[in-house]
Amino acid sequence: MDHLAAQKDSETTSEEYLRVLRRRTLILSALPFALLISAFLAVFIGTAGPLGPGVIDQEGHHERISFGDAIDAILNAHGDWPYDYHAVFWDVRIPRVLLAGLVGAALACSGTAMQAVFRNPMADPFIVGVSSGASLGAVVVEVTGLGALVAIGTIMSPVFAFITALVTVLVVYSLGTVRGRVYVDTLLLSGVAVAAFLSALVSFLIYFAHLEYHRIIFWLLGSLAQATWPAVATVALAVGVGSMLIFLFSRDLNALLLGEETAHNLGADPEFLKTLMLVVAAVMTSAAVAFTGVIGFIGLIIPHMMRIAVGADHRILLPSATLAGATFLILADSVARTVISPNALPVGIITALSGGPFFLYLLRRSRTESER
Amino acid sequence: MRFEVRNLSFSFGDKRVLRDISFEAADGEFLGLMGPNGSGKTTLLRCMTHYLQTEENRIFINGKPLQSLTSTDLAKTFAVVPQSSSTDFTFSAHDIVMMGRFPHMSSRLAGYGKVDDAIVRSAMEKTNTWHFAARPFYALSGGERQRVIIARAIAQQPQGLLLDEPTVYLDINGQLEVMDLIKKLNRSEGISVVAVLHDVNLAARYCDRIALLSQGRLEAIASPKEVLTPELIQSVYGVDVVVRKDPFSETVYVVPHSTVSVVPKHGTRVHLLCGGGTGGPIMKALFDAGFVVSVGVLNVLDSDFENANDMHLATVAEVPFAPISDSAHGENLRKIQESSAIVMSPFPVGPGNIRNLEAARTAARSGKAVFILEHDPEKGIDFVGGKADGFIKELISSGAVLVKDVGELLGRLSCGGIK
Amino acid sequence: MIWLVLGVTVSALLAFTVGYYAGISSVEEPLPTEEDESFTIVDDYGRSITLEKIPQRIVSSAPSPTEILFAVGAGNQLVGVDDYSDYPAATANITKVGSYPLNVETIIALAPDLIVGSDLVPRVQLEQLEDEGIPYVLFADRTLEDVLKTIRLAGIITGHVEQANSVAENLSLRVDAVKMKTLAENVSKPKVYVEYYELWTYGPGSFGDDLIALAGGTNIAHNASSEYPNVESEFVIAQDPEVIVYTVGVMSTTTADSIAARPGWDNISAVENDMIYSIDDNLMSRYGPRIVDALEQLAAIIHPELFS
Repeated sequence: MDHLAAQKDSETTSEEYLRVLRRRTLILSALPFALLISAFLAVFIGTAGPLGPGVIDQEGHHERISFGDAIDAILNAHGDWPYDYHAVFWDVRIPRVLLAGLVGAALACSGTAMQAVFRNPMADPFIVGVSSGASLGAVVVEVTGLGALVAIGTIMSPVFAFITALVTVLVVYSLGTVRGRVYVDTLLLSGVAVAAFLSALVSFLIYFAHLEYHRIIFWLLGSLAQATWPAVATVALAVGVGSMLIFLFSRDLNALLLGEETAHNLGADPEFLKTLMLVVAAVMTSAAVAFTGVIGFIGLIIPHMMRIAVGADHRILLPSATLAGATFLILADSVARTVISPNALPVGIITALSGGPFFLYLLRRSRTESER
Repeated sequence: MRFEVRNLSFSFGDKRVLRDISFEAADGEFLGLMGPNGSGKTTLLRCMTHYLQTEENRIFINGKPLQSLTSTDLAKTFAVVPQSSSTDFTFSAHDIVMMGRFPHMSSRLAGYGKVDDAIVRSAMEKTNTWHFAARPFYALSGGERQRVIIARAIAQQPQGLLLDEPTVYLDINGQLEVMDLIKKLNRSEGISVVAVLHDVNLAARYCDRIALLSQGRLEAIASPKEVLTPELIQSVYGVDVVVRKDPFSETVYVVPHSTVSVVPKHGTRVHLLCGGGTGGPIMKALFDAGFVVSVGVLNVLDSDFENANDMHLATVAEVPFAPISDSAHGENLRKIQESSAIVMSPFPVGPGNIRNLEAARTAARSGKAVFILEHDPEKGIDFVGGKADGFIKELISSGAVLVKDVGELLGRLSCGGIK
Repeated sequence: MIWLVLGVTVSALLAFTVGYYAGISSVEEPLPTEEDESFTIVDDYGRSITLEKIPQRIVSSAPSPTEILFAVGAGNQLVGVDDYSDYPAATANITKVGSYPLNVETIIALAPDLIVGSDLVPRVQLEQLEDEGIPYVLFADRTLEDVLKTIRLAGIITGHVEQANSVAENLSLRVDAVKMKTLAENVSKPKVYVEYYELWTYGPGSFGDDLIALAGGTNIAHNASSEYPNVESEFVIAQDPEVIVYTVGVMSTTTADSIAARPGWDNISAVENDMIYSIDDNLMSRYGPRIVDALEQLAAIIHPELFS
């Protein structure tokens, strides 16, 4: 190749490369703002307003709180509005928005890590059986009536769901590991088999115990209706620690994507990495699912969307996906709360309906771009 | 980087793949690992990279046992280049090379820095890949991808390179590019190389030594000249070859060549008068057709002499730069006497070998069937002032048959009842 | 490696529990009362609730409590009912507060002083509201006796003790009137099959099973393995009930003809003798005063000779 041309080429290449890098970093830095704005907006969305249909108050008047009064209610102990709306914000809306953000972050982060560990674009955080395991726990609580026990009744469901989810992951993990070596293909298939079995078990229990469907359907489709501060605290702990751990191993995950042998040859220990990622992702996801049920799509689609936007390098992809997941779930939940207000839809329906088509659109665009 | 393998055996379950292998790869050496499929060379390489767990104290790097080193240590000591690399994910070439800096990360929190950027750039420039650094890896050609992987290996700042058939998916241009690059790194930067190679001639060109494996055993480890002998190659690969020297370098090259005839010999003797390299194909054709071939008179430096020797044919030889002596001529005539047919290739005739034509005339006069292969009219073969053409005309008029090519020759030979 | 996983699981569980309890906020202190009108009641779950005064702004989160409250005369103390409360007609004008899940914001907007629920309501939400200072009471009814008890409790809670007692008395009398006839000696107990959905019936321990017994019938599913079993078609055929009752609701498609048309059912006594009857679904599933209506209708269906 002509030397001068090559030199010129290398200059344009480095420019091009820097341009791409700059664009990606820009997207990443814009995401926290998108998250904050969505969270902010979401707090103002609800039946009582300001972004909502309004409620009938004690005098029988139809009232919708204004933005000013809303801010007042948030900041002050007793707002100017007809009744103490401060409590609604602090005990209902804000925990819900926070939980949505945390769960969205947990699912997107775990999903990205799982796609790297399994080197499979169809992997999601539930691939090792978390969702069916947690469902089993929740249904057992309902069926045995443990949830009705006074004082500890309400903690039963999340605790059981969490335990059964983790136990399921343990079982799947041991099925896919032979003498200390994790075989991801076996792991994937074991996960599928165990999930199918547990799903059948769950269906059997629901049928046999004549469980009221509406009790379990909100859990099976995912719902943020039961967002309380204890829930937020627990999930925040799990997500905070879990996501930091996963971020720390971004470069290892990059190497893992090229194949286990390559990862080994580069000095990244693939066995340790796989196990660590599985455990951390399982704990994060189980904690999230224990309180909100199975919210699908986020763990599968958000990593792909962000990969199209910021590339496959986990150093940028992981934080991007985590933030995007949080933002997405907050927005989806806002829609779930308002679209048939004053009733609420399970948020899992919204994520599935919106996530799929939007992702297909992005995919189309990126394919046609790369074909140019 | 020094590699030492001592009594290494390895099995996959019940299947024994490596049997008691011992050798050393010296610092700065370019060692080739060769062997037929299933001989265990890739497994050996994987044991050396510690991807496969072996018994303790079998493999040593720079004197230290492999087990005592962490995978990060290993990654800083040597780099591995696999057969091919692919990924569905959209990493750029630059990203791929940057991964070579992974073992050098001071801590996970610190990440990569300016030093790493500089090293990556230099590695990519050395491999002539910097100009497509931003392109996605999957969009590159096979050769470009291998060069990027080599750049990644260089970025690891290794003391040694381990390669597993790095040229298998490359065209000849790509093969030479990659091998030249590796050789350069070996020579100018002192990076030891251990490469599994499948192409015998490539190995012969580039390796300082070749280790030849067969069925898990190390059959030989020596210079290419010493290892690539027809005997060893036949015993390991089961293939008959002829080993020649590259006319432009000291390296040897291997030509597949069978000295076993497919057709059963029918004992009919044919004597071939040839020279200047024109006799090779004719010798082989006659031999393959089952004839017993003798050749003469050939000057010892003539390539046809080499060809005849390679085929183990009875040859009448003459010393270089001397005209055919009486004894040689006599021998030639004797051979002609013993043969049922005489074949004359279109060899260039000069004062040194004109007596071959005399021999042909003698053969014709004594009633032997003489076949003359036509020569390319563009190329003159008469360097004796027209005497050769004269001879040939005379031969033809006394019954010698002019044939166009080897095919016609064989046809005539069988028709003429000479089988 | 297994130890690593176990270790992480255990610490995760610990972190989980710590996190959970760390986040539990304290319950609001009840406001001090001016005059001591406060009283304490114990609900059907054994929970002690202290109310400062008779609640005037009650939200009912399930249809059964709604009906009970109306029956004891507390209808105009209701400011909110769930989406499914549709009886009596006055409920149409009361603000709807969702069902599963409840719309917490709407409820808070109504500033209620009590929430009445059944065990179908998500406890987490009730606890959320309790944290806002709104107490809740749970009604849980398994038998007719439970219903009467709950009616009396509702009377105490809402300050309609007399009315509640008289309603309970009345209902009790009606039940006794039925029992006198259906449980008398020498009165046959025909086999009865009641279905609330195709091939789903009432098993032992369920309200329906109870009602059938009181109405003087023998529930063919009385020995089934669960409270609300799904039975095989052949089981019904084999049992050969003399009376078939099906419930009708908003979504039902079953008719007497569709039942008679089921393959193999034409030889069932009930089908042959045209003893297939319907009953309002709500009567059977609302555990309030109207359950006695259900009892009376059932009795009349099973023993037409006693209740002409």
